[in-house]
Amino acid sequence: MIATTELTLWTDVFSTKAGAVYQCDAERCWYVDFAGKVARFDHRNFLKLRKAVYAIDIEEKLLNTTTDPDVEIIFICACDHCYVLSLAQIINLKELLEGTFVMLELNHIIHDRLFSNSL
Amino acid sequence: MKDLLRIKSLISSDIEALLNQQVKKEAFSSSVYLAMASWCNRNGYDFSSEYFFKQAEEERHHQLKFYKYILDMGGNAVSPEVTGIKQEYNSFREVFEEALDQEISVTNSIKNIYARCMKEQDFVTMEFLNWFLKEQREEEYKARRALELFEVIGEEGTGRWQIDKHVGQIKYDSEA
Repeated sequence: MIATTELTLWTDVFSTKAGAVYQCDAERCWYVDFAGKVARFDHRNFLKLRKAVYAIDIEEKLLNTTTDPDVEIIFICACDHCYVLSLAQIINLKELLEGTFVMLELNHIIHDRLFSNSL
Repeated sequence: MKDLLRIKSLISSDIEALLNQQVKKEAFSSSVYLAMASWCNRNGYDFSSEYFFKQAEEERHHQLKFYKYILDMGGNAVSPEVTGIKQEYNSFREVFEEALDQEISVTNSIKNIYARCMKEQDFVTMEFLNWFLKEQREEEYKARRALELFEVIGEEGTGRWQIDKHVGQIKYDSEA
């Protein structure tokens, strides 16, 4: 029951088949449901996660013919979470984050255009 | 849903990235001027050396201005890595030609950020940048004036010695 109450405070930001991102206004943070876990990210860490994921050169990894496993470790400084992802998962996470930031940008535009003017 | 990104930071991530790029550019400029000061000093152009030391100091000051602005607006200021500074010059004149090139590139880059701010209607950053635009007038004037001295005095005979003496006296005090 408690879980349901908590969940109602989360707003869906964006989701794909591989995962979802929720925003919690009360805690001013985001919850990323991906790779079998729900991880909490504050503003700074969320931006760091985006930077880390965007920095991965997927094309280079696809063309790479060495025998190393296609595993990427996403570790964010001063953050409790760490992801160990395969190439397919990285592509999924990147898609999820791109969609999320488009939605956040859209939310920003709505706030800017509608709410700010009516205050 | 609250606009959390906006709550945390006044500037957008694009503007933040551009400002951080500018921090790096100013740090680079400061180091270039320091290398110029060293070259001039080693070659006996003491007044010019002093002039470049002052310029290096100014660029550092600009860098910190950008740096603190990013932090004050809730952004993440990144301490830049500065590499590839040219240490040797072929002639006294070349030093000043490159100094002007450096200033022109800084002006362009500030104009570029300004254009981006206009697109985003980030009037706060535009107002912040106004100071730099005015400052660039002075910087470019001084660099251009120094090169002009090579034309009006000429490098023959004791020309370079005269130029060096006058470089230290270049001032821009336009009220416009």
